[in-house]
Amino acid sequence: MRDCRNAENFYLYLEEELDPSERREFEAHLARCPSCRDVLAERRLLHEAFTSLPPLDVPPDFALSVMDRILEAADEKAGWLAPLASGLAALVIGLLGFYILTGESLSDVLVAVCRSFGSGFGRLLPLLAKLLKIGGLLLDIASGFVMMLGKGLVALLSSLGPDGICLILGLGLVLSLLLFFGAKKLISLGEKT
Amino acid sequence: MSEDSTLVARALKGDGKAFEMIVRKYEQPLTNYLGRMTGEREAALDFAQEVFIKVYCSLKSYRPAYKFSTWLFKIASNHLIDHWRKKKLPTLSIDQPVDNEDCSLTPQVPDPGPSVARRFELAEIRQKIERALDAIPEAFRELFVLRHVNEFSYEEIADIKSLPVGTVKNRVFQAKEMLRKRMEGS
Repeated sequence: MRDCRNAENFYLYLEEELDPSERREFEAHLARCPSCRDVLAERRLLHEAFTSLPPLDVPPDFALSVMDRILEAADEKAGWLAPLASGLAALVIGLLGFYILTGESLSDVLVAVCRSFGSGFGRLLPLLAKLLKIGGLLLDIASGFVMMLGKGLVALLSSLGPDGICLILGLGLVLSLLLFFGAKKLISLGEKT
Repeated sequence: MSEDSTLVARALKGDGKAFEMIVRKYEQPLTNYLGRMTGEREAALDFAQEVFIKVYCSLKSYRPAYKFSTWLFKIASNHLIDHWRKKKLPTLSIDQPVDNEDCSLTPQVPDPGPSVARRFELAEIRQKIERALDAIPEAFRELFVLRHVNEFSYEEIADIKSLPVGTVKNRVFQAKEMLRKRMEGS
């Protein structure tokens, strides 16, 4: 009879999770198997304990403290809106004030603001051009250096021959492996600390 | 529309009292679940707060076609998984011995059973279960707690954990056997 081997059935029987035919088969087996009846009695006590574990104590003001935290979170979320709104309000008040004091229309004020931005940008352009020129010169120097390095390397390799190249490649591989594992160990030590 | 769905709809319209009612309804089952998963009541209460805040922020994504409790416990379960991943907490092996005699959980006094002898017997078994629970792997402990502490059906647990029902049944059974063997050895 499979019930003697299938320990899961004892729990499923106690939880009333066996379908009717399985249940009838299980009960029929129990009627003629004293050892399974003993096992069932033990599992019944365990099942009773499993299903009656006591609740943990929750403070009476728990729900209120959750609601407070939610309100705090909502305030924090709205926090960035306040500076933005006050900045916009200051800009509008400034423009209105300028209009009231000078009598200039708002469109004139906006045009003046755009012009001042334009003239500022015009002064910056020559400076940007000079910076680009310096950048180009530095790139020229760097490319010349790399070319020289390449030529030197080719000359060295041709003088070493195939054996020398193999030796250098091997040394390079060992060095890079050492560097890789050393760095890995350093990182793991950092994580531990 | 279920009571929970009505409360969610009210909360979405800005009714704070409705969400407070949801918190009051689920604070106990959620703390029972988180307490057994973390092994500490204070940590469980902190987690429960965080879960309720997450639930509040995700209310718009709740679909009334699903059971609210299943949705809430899914969020709680994912929250625990995230926490363990971030903290890289070690997963307890099933071979690790049960220690910590003074249990850190502080359960309320249970209801009396049918007889004094049986009551003592049951109380002792419950204490042993609480201690043994800490020592079984989270994956098994969680399913056991959802089934026997929170009284979810196997189908609901399968929904919460996105697992086949057969797998859930088998893991709950294995958890019970682990507990039984640990209790026999203690």
